[in-house]
Amino acid sequence: MADGPLIVQSDKTLLLEVDHERAAEARRAIAPFAELERAPEHVHTYRLTPLGLWNARAAGHDAEQVVDALMEYSRYPVPHALLVDIAETMSRYGRLQLVSDPAHGLVLHALDRAVLAEVLKSKRTAGLVGERVDELSVVVHPSERGHLKQVLVKLGWPAEDLAGYVDGEKHPIALSTETVTTTPDGAEIRKPWAMRPYQAQAVDGFWYGGSGVVVLPCGAGKTIVGAGAMAKSGTTTLILVTNTVSARQWRDELLRRTDLTEDEIGEYSGARKEIKPVTIATYQVLTTRRKGVYTHLELLDARDWGLVLYDEVHLLPAPIFRMTADLQARRRLGLTATLVREDGREDEVFSLIGPKRYDAPWKDIEAQGYIAPADCVEVRLTLPEHERMTYATAEPEDRYRLAASASGKKRVVEQIVAQHPDDQVLVIGQYIDQLEELAEHLDAPLIMGATTVRERQRLFDAFRSGEINHLVVSKVANFSIDLPEASVAIQVSGSFGSRQEEAQRLGRIMRPKADGRTAHFYAVVARDTVDQDFAAHRQRFLAEQGYAYRIVDAEDLGAASDTAV
Amino acid sequence: MATSRPPAATFAESLRSHGPARVLALLEARPDLAVPSPSTLRSLGARATSRTSLERAVAHLDACRLTVLEAVLALDDATRPGGVPADVVVRAVLGPDADADDVAAVRDALADVRTAGLVWEPLPDDPAAAPTQDVAPVRPAPGLDELLGAHPAGLGPSDDAARAAVARAGDDTDVLTRDAPPGAREVLAALTWGPPVGVAPRTDPRARAAVDWLVEQHLLLAVDGRHVVLPREVALALRGGRTHRGAAVRPPRPAGAQVRDETVEAEAASAALEAVRLVAHLLAVWQEQPPPVLRTGGLGVRELRRLAQTLGVDDPTAASVAELALVAGLVSDDGDDPPSFAPTTAADDWLDLEVPRRWAALATSWGATPRTPWVVGSRDERGTLRAALDPELHRAWVPALRASVLGVLAAQPGVSLDAHAVLEVLRWRSPRAVPPEHAVEGLLADAALLGVTGAGALSPVGRALLEGLDRPPTPGRVDALGDALETLVPPPVDELLLQGDLTGIVPGRPSTTLESLLAGSADVESRGAAVTVRFTADSVTRALDAGRTADELLDDLGAHARGGVPQPLEYLVRDAARRHGRLRVGAATSYLRAEDPALVVGLVEDPALRGLGLFRIAPTVLAAHVPAIELRAALRARGLSPTVEGPDGQVLHAEGTAVRIAGRRRPAWLGGPPARRPRSLRPDPRAESIEAPAPEPADARHARLSELAALLVATAGPAPSAAPSPRSSPASSLGSSPGSSTAASTASDAARPDAGANGTTATPAIPATPGTPGTPGGADQADAPASDTPRGEGTSEPADALALLRETIELGGHVWLEVVGPRGLPDTRRVRPLRLDAGRLRAVDADREAELTVAVHRIASVRPA
Repeated sequence: MADGPLIVQSDKTLLLEVDHERAAEARRAIAPFAELERAPEHVHTYRLTPLGLWNARAAGHDAEQVVDALMEYSRYPVPHALLVDIAETMSRYGRLQLVSDPAHGLVLHALDRAVLAEVLKSKRTAGLVGERVDELSVVVHPSERGHLKQVLVKLGWPAEDLAGYVDGEKHPIALSTETVTTTPDGAEIRKPWAMRPYQAQAVDGFWYGGSGVVVLPCGAGKTIVGAGAMAKSGTTTLILVTNTVSARQWRDELLRRTDLTEDEIGEYSGARKEIKPVTIATYQVLTTRRKGVYTHLELLDARDWGLVLYDEVHLLPAPIFRMTADLQARRRLGLTATLVREDGREDEVFSLIGPKRYDAPWKDIEAQGYIAPADCVEVRLTLPEHERMTYATAEPEDRYRLAASASGKKRVVEQIVAQHPDDQVLVIGQYIDQLEELAEHLDAPLIMGATTVRERQRLFDAFRSGEINHLVVSKVANFSIDLPEASVAIQVSGSFGSRQEEAQRLGRIMRPKADGRTAHFYAVVARDTVDQDFAAHRQRFLAEQGYAYRIVDAEDLGAASDTAV
Repeated sequence: MATSRPPAATFAESLRSHGPARVLALLEARPDLAVPSPSTLRSLGARATSRTSLERAVAHLDACRLTVLEAVLALDDATRPGGVPADVVVRAVLGPDADADDVAAVRDALADVRTAGLVWEPLPDDPAAAPTQDVAPVRPAPGLDELLGAHPAGLGPSDDAARAAVARAGDDTDVLTRDAPPGAREVLAALTWGPPVGVAPRTDPRARAAVDWLVEQHLLLAVDGRHVVLPREVALALRGGRTHRGAAVRPPRPAGAQVRDETVEAEAASAALEAVRLVAHLLAVWQEQPPPVLRTGGLGVRELRRLAQTLGVDDPTAASVAELALVAGLVSDDGDDPPSFAPTTAADDWLDLEVPRRWAALATSWGATPRTPWVVGSRDERGTLRAALDPELHRAWVPALRASVLGVLAAQPGVSLDAHAVLEVLRWRSPRAVPPEHAVEGLLADAALLGVTGAGALSPVGRALLEGLDRPPTPGRVDALGDALETLVPPPVDELLLQGDLTGIVPGRPSTTLESLLAGSADVESRGAAVTVRFTADSVTRALDAGRTADELLDDLGAHARGGVPQPLEYLVRDAARRHGRLRVGAATSYLRAEDPALVVGLVEDPALRGLGLFRIAPTVLAAHVPAIELRAALRARGLSPTVEGPDGQVLHAEGTAVRIAGRRRPAWLGGPPARRPRSLRPDPRAESIEAPAPEPADARHARLSELAALLVATAGPAPSAAPSPRSSPASSLGSSPGSSTAASTASDAARPDAGANGTTATPAIPATPGTPGTPGGADQADAPASDTPRGEGTSEPADALALLRETIELGGHVWLEVVGPRGLPDTRRVRPLRLDAGRLRAVDADREAELTVAVHRIASVRPA
């Protein structure tokens, strides 16, 4: 123990020294219960949270294992209070269970009378539970199953949901066993295909647990996990995704990876309202309200869904949570790259969709070659005198726009593009004027909100096939577009960099490259402006994700890139 | 009942028969008897039976000794003129089938209360008989019955008729109630284990019949129309001869979680380091901004809260940290107007120490302090909020209680005990003086804060501290304590891991140089076994402000960083340096501007204006070191006509300077005198009653007391073996013989040459030890007159008078009582004293056949009749 790779801080953070010879071992030991917060080059920071510990309990780990893991790998003695707290927190999970009683239907069953008394005394549970069955059980209104679970997490006594699921309408789905690629000359090449081992583990972990969330990094094939879960379930499935483009990609991927035909997959979006055995709906259409009423709620009851899939769980909007509360009798699978939510509603994900069922250490997947390594560069541009003066005297609300669309960025982008003549380059920005100008300058097509879905698909396909090398996109392309061969991304402006947005943008270039080359991520930033302040957030995020991160001055760009490439 | 006893012996006589060893043992057991030094055994006896002294002695008895004392008191009656035998006491306390260890404990307790003069053995018939190891039958010291209340061990008064009734019944107590009406047994059962007084039923005829029958049978006594009481003999018979049931004769061992040694050590070490860090942080904050002292002398609530926020702890912890700094002499009221709390010069010495030494300085200061930080935030009797660092926050009993609390933990090594558990033991140790629970909680919280405990159990450093608590701290001991901590804390780490996300991690306890480097250039994000810091533009600017250049900072960081300085961090430092100093701030008192640069230059060069401290800031702007009014006057004097501008644009700069003041005393850990009380604190009268005597090296005390004991025994005349038999001379039981009295004076004079030198031969043997004037009860003033009171003359000294009355009550006899009447006229009566209680004497005036009650303070003198 004297020389372990782990340092346990009293504020419940765990510091893992990655260069230590036992680091990998320690990482595997703590991964089930600790959330990775930062992964820079030397020391990774994990955090112990009640949800993390409960997730571990749900996955079958007990407090003793957690304590043993900490003691085993800790370099210094583990704070006593922390160990006590871990045992205390973990013992809270599962003292209450939701079970199906043959006589009374859904009941909340307690293993501890005092806990049940405490919970029932709370005002929050009033109206969610019915009459007492016996000393240890109380009837739960089936419609309040989700709501009750939410409340119990808030009260600190998360319930284990053992009440089971409705079977749903049967609809056999099988995974394909080979991939078919069409060569430019029209010939079909068939290769055997199977899920990657970690994807199969994720599906098994989910199925065994019943409902829950699978956490996989961008580019690790979450769609495949979804398809695998559907095959396992063999029932009608409702898939909820963030936007229409993403819906199309799900459809394509399902057609490719399963025996589902186009007739069996429906799209329920702003444009189309099809309900088929497998239906892909967007969050937006579900949350559309007319006169305060959700107009598309009937979709949830349109069929006897056997499985509900949530893509990008960390972006799930609040109304979907409320709807999900009513879907507790159906199996639910959440897919995400990160459980961190900007709004702090991780506990709702936990209570309504379910505990984390699978979490692949990011580094492991990278090491297996499924994710491309990336080089991140921040290019600092000194504004010319007249722009600085304009900036200094501008109203605060105009400053970011002024800094972000500084005229000098055009030249910098040009320079970067010139340095990557053989790469697929994606230019991402926020302001349409700036993007139009850039598109014109680079002679590249522009995709923005006004671009039709058909046109988007066409341009994406062209980009994918290498027909066009440069593409300028606005933030509409943030989520779930699939551009396998983009190896250079240049960000000229962004909405104040939230962590998810950054993860998504980075995800665009992290898909493994056919030739294994390094991906490049550039952010062009105006010096001494709010643009730079926002960039600092991005820099922190990227560095925390473990990417090598450099800052270069625009003037030195040529030299710096030469050394980097 | 007292009259039935042969006038055999008294407490005072028993005392007079003691050899020096017994007297010494008594003085050691009850140190208050020796201050001021009593001049004779008689005055020692008077003092030992005074209520004040008895109260003090009983307050320090543990539950076992108190139980034994109660048992002796309860069993002492007319049937046992020779005293209560030890085995009777044992049986009464423990019952017949007692555990041998328990029996030994009770016997020890009996020996101890005998040593302490709380029980005494009636004189053996043969005074020459050698004292036996075992305790002879004993009787309670006079005055104890008043002190322990009317119903010792829940037993009522003795009653002869009841005794007879019980004796008739023999061993079988069922016989007593064989013909009893229904309900009688229940009445007896309810009163058996006390309290013995019951309310006689009025309405329920059945119950009335039962009670009436019991009274008739002498099994109950009717106290008055309403109440009945169970006589002692009946209760003892019903209890099977026992005075107590379930008596706890051995200290409780409260259950607590077992903690492993490594855990205790690790927790203690990390708490110790954290405590030192918090105090250092406080010093750093207060040297920049000394908080004001309240008018009452404390630290205001708002200031305390600000401190708590800065330190990142809760308010009580912040108060404890500030108190630690105060008791270690690191901060003090600077005495300025207005006053504020500022670091002292000792703080600099402290900051120069290595961390373990710093901790040792704090811990030893804490160990000796009488201050009570746990009351901070509560309200006093007047409703005023008690402030931290308030000079009034101290109680003299705190050091003793601290030692007891730590002692309880030390008795159960490796067991985590909370305040409740500790209090359980303390309550056993002194049932009549139970310390307040919040004080125990407060002491435990402070102990945990300092690492004196770890995970609730006493840590090795805590044990080392406890072992030194009875002696004043010395620099050598402080060093030793520091060494003890040093073995517990992990070695300091001089390595820093710098990362691309602008964080740095010290994988362990940072060395002093690394700590100060990081404190000056980064913000701490998380602490514990390791420290993580984050570099920001602000934190780097702070380092630049402190005078480092970007290169120096990068070099320093690079020297500690294993993997070098990552590019983003280097860029951050360089970028901050680039921006640093683009704006310049300076100090000036007034400024001067003009349209004409030539005029401005002329003014700077003008020798007549040199005293103004004019200097050029820009071609048309000057700044001056004098106020605007003065500047204007000087320029006017030069024949110019300036105008004064409004206050806008005035530049002020207050340079933060490290304030240091001399502490009022040199702290003990620096080798200064031990602190008895924090400075400028008035003695607290409330604390006196429980205050322990001034700590004095044990061997010195022993020598002093031995000398005193020898002196006392010598003044009592011939050795006990040669003393005249008390029975041969009844008078001698009431006072010292004339011979011995003279001897006392002579011996005392001879032993104290200084008495003659002082020219106080008329009143010999006034003790040289300073007295405590005005002590209530006057026990301490008894000595001088007592020795020269001729035998038979009686005494006017209150303590002796009371002693004489007690003796007489005990023996049953008469005294001449001089009472001052309501009009101030003395009246002398011959009375038989019955009871001395609560400041009143109840006596029977035989001549007038009347009972009288006299307030003690009206008694002018008492003379044996």
